[in-house]
Amino acid sequence: MAFAIEFFLRRLSQGLLIVLLVAFVIFTLLRVAPGDPIRIILGPMATATAMEETAQKLGLRDPIPVQFGRFVLDVAQGDFGRSFIRGKQGGASGGSQDGAMDMADRAPVMGLIATALPYTLLLAGLGLVFSFLIAVPIGLAAGLNAGRWQQKLGLYVSSLFVSLPNIWVGVVLIYLLSAKSGLLPAIGYRNFAYAIIPAIVVAVEMSPVLIRAIAVSIASNVQEAYFDIGQVRGIGRNRMIYRHVLRNAAVPLLNVFGAQMIGMLLGGLFVVEYIFSFPGIGLLTINAVFQRDFPIIQAVAILASAVLVLINILVDFASTTIDRRLKF
Amino acid sequence: MMKTTRRKFLAGSTAVGIAGAIGTSALFNKAFAQASNTLIFAAAGTVTGSWDPSSHTVAPQITAEGFVFGRLTRCPMTPDNPGEILPDLAVSWSQLDEHTLEYKLREGVTFHDGKPFTARDVKATYEYASDPSRPASAWYPGRVDVEVVDDHTVRLNTAKYGYPALNFWYVVSFLPILSADDVANPETLKQRPNGTGAYQYVSTNGDQINFQAFENYHGGKPAIDNLVWAYVPDANTRVLGLLNGQYHLTERLEPEQYVSLSNEAGIKTDRSLSSENKYLHFRCNKPPFDDVRVRLAVCHAIDRSQVLEVVGEAGQASNCHISPVKFGFTDVAGYPEYDPAKAQALLAEAGYPNGQGLPEIEYITSVGFYPKTREYGELIAAMLQEQGFPIKLTTLEPAAWEEQLYRRADGQGPGHIIDVGWITGSPEPDLVLRPNYYSQFALVNGISDAEIDASLDKERGATTTEERLTILQTETLPLIAAKAPSISLFSSVFLRAMTDKLDGVFFFPNGPIDLTQARFV
Repeated sequence: MAFAIEFFLRRLSQGLLIVLLVAFVIFTLLRVAPGDPIRIILGPMATATAMEETAQKLGLRDPIPVQFGRFVLDVAQGDFGRSFIRGKQGGASGGSQDGAMDMADRAPVMGLIATALPYTLLLAGLGLVFSFLIAVPIGLAAGLNAGRWQQKLGLYVSSLFVSLPNIWVGVVLIYLLSAKSGLLPAIGYRNFAYAIIPAIVVAVEMSPVLIRAIAVSIASNVQEAYFDIGQVRGIGRNRMIYRHVLRNAAVPLLNVFGAQMIGMLLGGLFVVEYIFSFPGIGLLTINAVFQRDFPIIQAVAILASAVLVLINILVDFASTTIDRRLKF
Repeated sequence: MMKTTRRKFLAGSTAVGIAGAIGTSALFNKAFAQASNTLIFAAAGTVTGSWDPSSHTVAPQITAEGFVFGRLTRCPMTPDNPGEILPDLAVSWSQLDEHTLEYKLREGVTFHDGKPFTARDVKATYEYASDPSRPASAWYPGRVDVEVVDDHTVRLNTAKYGYPALNFWYVVSFLPILSADDVANPETLKQRPNGTGAYQYVSTNGDQINFQAFENYHGGKPAIDNLVWAYVPDANTRVLGLLNGQYHLTERLEPEQYVSLSNEAGIKTDRSLSSENKYLHFRCNKPPFDDVRVRLAVCHAIDRSQVLEVVGEAGQASNCHISPVKFGFTDVAGYPEYDPAKAQALLAEAGYPNGQGLPEIEYITSVGFYPKTREYGELIAAMLQEQGFPIKLTTLEPAAWEEQLYRRADGQGPGHIIDVGWITGSPEPDLVLRPNYYSQFALVNGISDAEIDASLDKERGATTTEERLTILQTETLPLIAAKAPSISLFSSVFLRAMTDKLDGVFFFPNGPIDLTQARFV
């Protein structure tokens, strides 16, 4: 118990530092990159005075550390601010040069994220389920049958999937499964069926890592002495696999899952949601980047890094409970 | 016993998963393909946070307003007859004197909120929206007084503001008419659009706007009951959504998409000349383009026929600074043609023989907004390099490009050459010419030329349309071509596609879509 408390305290404080660092980098990059949000907020024909007034009002002319300090204080109170661009009803806007901009007319960032999050969770969840459905049988078969056709199959499938860009897979699947055959809907979201093709694209992107990790980790355990010794002692092969090999293989798998897959999942979802016009966090963020909607980009970046940090902490904690020898 | 069960379980769960996926697909299949009397329009852009038409100059919102608001007149803007004016809320119009136009209004028209349309609404709208403090007052030739003669007659009077009323002749077809009660209450005006058009606003749901057919539309309730404006930023997604039947109509196709969709069963395409020209603007208030000879040298160094080959279906050749669907368009005599020898002579005369001594010239263009800008940007950069211009091509995504486009407070804009299109929804040429070439504005190129100003004032001051046409075609447009503050590369062609079940759609050359006669067959 004492270990757990010490572990979480230490890791959470480290994590907080990482999130703050990420937030600062994103915050600074947004403000030094070309593309003035005021031009997009006020539209092409806004006067220089109106632009300057709005910029002052939004605090965009203060030094970056001052802006960042103010932002962190707000975030600490749970306030991620309001979108520069999106109106209260959530629709993207821009170019409303109607006098000085009234921020009260704009949507709160947390509200936009809360609306989009369930869609992203659905897509991520379904994508993970599909990738496990693909990777577990192939990876297990490959790991248990080193040097035989199953291992080659694992290698070929993962090499094939890893070399397919998700944009291409997305477009081809929409064309084949939706436009040509009419089997499934694909664009936007009206019901569960709209998540299936995008989830397959997510699964195609994620399963190669999973297949390789399962195959390698199972194969190395099967080759270890304990696997044969156990069987000599009379424990059945399958019992050895399910009771011992899988458990020992779980630690590296968890690490792959935490460190690589969640990162990939986050990145992949952005692209997939954009191609499919799927109304989740990814689409919200990509549109925010195009529109220089700083508050949304910042909030998503902070939340994404926080999620990554938390998952890594949980994975490490789970690893120590699976294998007591490990200390993080 | 145990082992086989688990193995079976694993195999079984995989099978169940796959079967489940297939099963749900069959289950939901009908949901997305079902026919209904709803038209889903996959739009490339979306609206602003305010529904007040006088609050913005944003093209997608002008398209959305096209469904909702009525205007005094309607200009189809065809290349064969750019000056054609048809009735909308006005049934007839005439010029009473130099400063007065009279419009007889249609009777029995109601707004979507049920209030009757009268002369009072025209007065409220025009006097409010022409106020220079309104952001879209740029569409108005200037301030205007509206006299209410009776409930269904108005007179536009410009005497107090010192310009001929004829300037409203074409522009009224582009100015949405609001309800006087809404104008009196700007908060309501912002919250929801209320017009006399064929479709009334229902709701906004994220990136989707819902409209429904207006029962009391003066032209008769449209056949299509519901209209959904779906904002889909990605061009490929819009096309795929059209192919799988989720969308019925989409706009702003890339030339290749247009060509491949033209051969697709179940889809029909539409191609029409727009009111937009594509320009390269020169920053005229800094070297080397403060010298007209260097500007003309660039114009003569560009082979526009090659540029058009790159643009393909999305462009049409034109030798004029306004589009062929604009009043005043003419094939301008002496418009600078590709002539390398002339380019060299001009460079030498300006003191830069073979381009020697020229500073590095930055050519800024965008990618992802207009078709093929990067591709023809590279081509033009190569042509200019061939003549000795030290060109640096900068390609930016739209938000960064837009930030670079306009002149700043100090009068200067970044770079030396910048690519942009200019689109407005009326045959009125001054909507293009004044913002771009009149010294007081010259929003992009910064030209300050007394002769151009005088010519623009002269055509604006003409008292008959015939006189104005002559001045535009024989003086103003040739003068702009000779001074070359920008070169117009070509006129844009808008490419769209729709399900072949959709009939009777009319597209205005600036984007708005007329669905009053549209139906699913």
